[in-house]
Amino acid sequence: MTPRLVLALAALTIAKASLAEDLVVWHAYRAEEKAALETIAAQYNATHASKGVTIKTLAVPFDALADKISAAVPRGRGADIFIYAQDRLGGWIETGNVIEPLDFFLDKATRARYLPLTLQAMTYRGTVYGLPVNFKVIALIYNKKLVPAPPKTTTELVAIAKKLTSKASGRFGLAYSYADFYYHAALMNGFGGRVFEAGPKAVIDNPQNIQSMDLLLQWIYTDKILPAEPSTALVTALFNEEKTGMVFSGPWFLSEISKSIDYGIAPLPLIDEAGGKPMRPWVTVEGAFIAAPCKNKDAAYEFIKYLTDASSAKVMAIKGRQTPANKEVYSDPSVASNPVLKAFKSQVDVSVPMPNIAEMSMMWSPVTIAIGSIVKRGATPKEALATAQKALTADMANLRRK
Amino acid sequence: MSTGTAQRPVIRAIVGSLLAGALALGVAHALLGRAFENLATDTDDRSGIVALNALTAVVQSPQSSDDTLRRTVQGWQTRTSGITASRIVRIAGAELLASTAAHDSVEAEAPRRLERDEKPLFDMAQRLRSAVNLNRDEGAPRKNEIEVESLPKGGRSFSGPFVEDGEISGLVQVQSIDTAVPRRPSWWITLGLILMVVGCAVVPAFVFRRRSRVATWGAVGAGAIGLIAALTLHGSFATKALMEAQAQGDAAIAARARSQADAVSAVIPGDVATEDSLAPGAWDTDVYRRSRGRLTADATILPAPPMPSVFGKSLFLLFAFALVLLATTVLGGFHALGRALRDNRVAYAYILPAIVGMALLVYFPFVYGVVLSFTDSTLYNANQGVAETWIGLRNYADIIFDFNVFSHGDNGWVVNYSNFYWTLFFTIVWTITNVTIGVTVGLALALVLNIKNLWFKPLYRVVLILPWAVPNYITALVWKGMFHRQFGVINQVLEIFGRQPISWFDNPLSSFATALATNGWLSFPFMMVVSMGALQSIPEELYEAAEVDGASWRQRFFAITLPALRPALVPAIILSVIWTFNMFNVIYLVTGGEPSGATEILVTQAYKFAFERYRYGYAAAYSTIIFMILLVYGIFQNRVSRATEA
Repeated sequence: MTPRLVLALAALTIAKASLAEDLVVWHAYRAEEKAALETIAAQYNATHASKGVTIKTLAVPFDALADKISAAVPRGRGADIFIYAQDRLGGWIETGNVIEPLDFFLDKATRARYLPLTLQAMTYRGTVYGLPVNFKVIALIYNKKLVPAPPKTTTELVAIAKKLTSKASGRFGLAYSYADFYYHAALMNGFGGRVFEAGPKAVIDNPQNIQSMDLLLQWIYTDKILPAEPSTALVTALFNEEKTGMVFSGPWFLSEISKSIDYGIAPLPLIDEAGGKPMRPWVTVEGAFIAAPCKNKDAAYEFIKYLTDASSAKVMAIKGRQTPANKEVYSDPSVASNPVLKAFKSQVDVSVPMPNIAEMSMMWSPVTIAIGSIVKRGATPKEALATAQKALTADMANLRRK
Repeated sequence: MSTGTAQRPVIRAIVGSLLAGALALGVAHALLGRAFENLATDTDDRSGIVALNALTAVVQSPQSSDDTLRRTVQGWQTRTSGITASRIVRIAGAELLASTAAHDSVEAEAPRRLERDEKPLFDMAQRLRSAVNLNRDEGAPRKNEIEVESLPKGGRSFSGPFVEDGEISGLVQVQSIDTAVPRRPSWWITLGLILMVVGCAVVPAFVFRRRSRVATWGAVGAGAIGLIAALTLHGSFATKALMEAQAQGDAAIAARARSQADAVSAVIPGDVATEDSLAPGAWDTDVYRRSRGRLTADATILPAPPMPSVFGKSLFLLFAFALVLLATTVLGGFHALGRALRDNRVAYAYILPAIVGMALLVYFPFVYGVVLSFTDSTLYNANQGVAETWIGLRNYADIIFDFNVFSHGDNGWVVNYSNFYWTLFFTIVWTITNVTIGVTVGLALALVLNIKNLWFKPLYRVVLILPWAVPNYITALVWKGMFHRQFGVINQVLEIFGRQPISWFDNPLSSFATALATNGWLSFPFMMVVSMGALQSIPEELYEAAEVDGASWRQRFFAITLPALRPALVPAIILSVIWTFNMFNVIYLVTGGEPSGATEILVTQAYKFAFERYRYGYAAAYSTIIFMILLVYGIFQNRVSRATEA
């Protein structure tokens, strides 16, 4: 062999070696959802073997995933792709070198296949940063035995709940974690309230937010249909012991319902007090993001596109028991016939994506304090929200101070 | 006194002053070199940005349509020196509108869609658009509106927003070659000044060589004066040279702006070249597209602002370091250090791995945290260097001088629970009560378990140590559940006895009680184990003798048991105070600071500042203050108890 030939062969080998590379996907899925993701990855690896890219999934405990991403990805030592909800999006983009923008890849047809609101959740300051995989939203989950027909309006809701409530035996018509601002957001958005305005500027003390708190207080103290200090564990216990007929909760709640209970899911009721507008819960959307330091972004994009197409979404829906963000899948007969998926899908149509700006994480502490003192009647909604507004505004100003 | 020892101060003075002079002036020299280089880079940047702004003015003039755009850009580039390529990108449709890059004019002529490997160009256009909108929304410049990048093959690219119909629709980019050559600081001056320092130090050492003390201190004093003189002289040279270099840079930029004005008016038809588009002085902007204020509109140079000191605060620091070096050498510090290292070679070799490990895992993060506490580092600027976010002691001042603990509200006086002093007060109360409970309960149980012939003693011991064996966050969550208002076991017991259930976390006092109960439960086993061990070691004869002398139970406890326990208990209490002071898990998980942050301790508060409010610098200052408090406490405690010798 001539030296030149050897060199050429060596070059070929190196080229081939660099082609056959792994793309690592970090996610926090467990059980069925994990199996669904792994199935999709295996399918992709089988059908795209010729491209020389192998997808490897790595499950990371949910509590550790965000910190792991923040620490490893910007230094080029993390995954190529990761799946996470949109709530950290703003923070990661402001930090820089974590998430790759996707607008350049996204064509019209791909954009059109998602529920618009889920793509909106992946958008930060006009740029799309991820492809939506699944969404999670709260809806009305009811015990069919206690509540034969789910309420369509808040008036009906209160009427049904009052009948089921009996303080002496610890029964409540309705139970949900209303002191958790995430759950309360459904009422707040229903009244047209909000936490941030463009800028971003905090607007916690706006009149609509106060109205939504007034209605909550009415439910607790006038109608007396809600338990005190409702933690999620308590809500689950009440529902499983048939001590409550209706619960506002999300898909995560379904796996906690005991086998003996026949439950149904319906959209949250329309708010008569707000002129018949629907309750609009916050939607969290799990997106597939490409890490900014990823070496093979084209291949990574091909995979996340595959992960969110209709056939993968069907695997996610049927096998993973998730609610996919891809809207085409809902016309598939096996998905359309599933009452759970159908109910959450119709709920998401009237929902609001949870803000993805970095300031969101500063909001939780002041609003949680505010709602805590409101539901215990330590302060009027107006006072408590004004205090929260002041605290959040100060925190945001401190962050930006030069 | 022999001649050998008489020479020693002179030799040390030479070595010490040489080292100190080389350090001080070497660093000063390097800093000046850096300043020259920065100035040259700055001039290149300004030149590139002037060209970019001029091109932007050209392509945004109403006359240019997409068709004529490429010709206009080409025309502008042939009239502009030092530009290797220009591009215009439109975000909608990812379109390359015009390009003068060699590759694009031959193989892939514009207009065309951007290719996949040109994604960074597209992303940059989007980034610039969102930066401009963000700066406008926030009313203050935070993100760059002009991006400057070094190109892999040399030269730099400058990109700014491209505006169509009042909306940012893409980017304009120019690539330029670097032309400015940085000056070099003169080595002759630096060497001369070093020799001056050496001279200053050696003269007294030589003159008084027979009187060692005088010679030594004389060398240090005169060396210090020499250092000050040399650094001052160097500073004045440096300022003069930098002023000259800056004036040259300004002149180059003014010339550039004027030549760009000619180029622009040649490319744009005369009637369009209004006053507005031809203000070449306004093209000299910073990366936020704000005027640098060095040129007038028609590119005349304005008088230079006073030169800021080249070294600023670093000058004093430099002098301090050099002086320490000088004094240590002259006074024989290095000689002694060398001897100690030689004599205890084996000992130092053994602890070397530990030193390295500690340095990497403890000292480096610690020093980094302290440095961070002097910056304004937040989520938004965490990628910037320490120098850019340096704010000195402001974080500390904000924390320590905020005395707004009580405020007068509508319903009387209100405590401001997020104030540092409230949190400090609460932390101290929390620590004292917890340690008291832990020691009392632990000691009492140890005394009970120490009773001779107690039945099932091993069983009790295991049961009582169990709380310690369960991970403390699990214990904390269990206790939190027990305090639930409606379904917690404690309220249910209260209800059995006909009492009203208590909302434990609504009131600072009851909320504190929940955390106290949890931590008491967690902390007594440790004290119990420590006391049990110490109790075993008290000789039985002492008690027997005391009994013979007729001492009561109480007298025996206070005269024998407690003094005998002291050596074991005191270190345990010191440790326990520090643990409790920083007991993050219990507070964070049980009360979560409820109500309204009233039961927050210093560490949980620092955590919330860092990870809920993203104020990393402020949180670092908070942590440093916590460290200081514990340090003062530790020193004080050691003094009082001599625990380290016990």
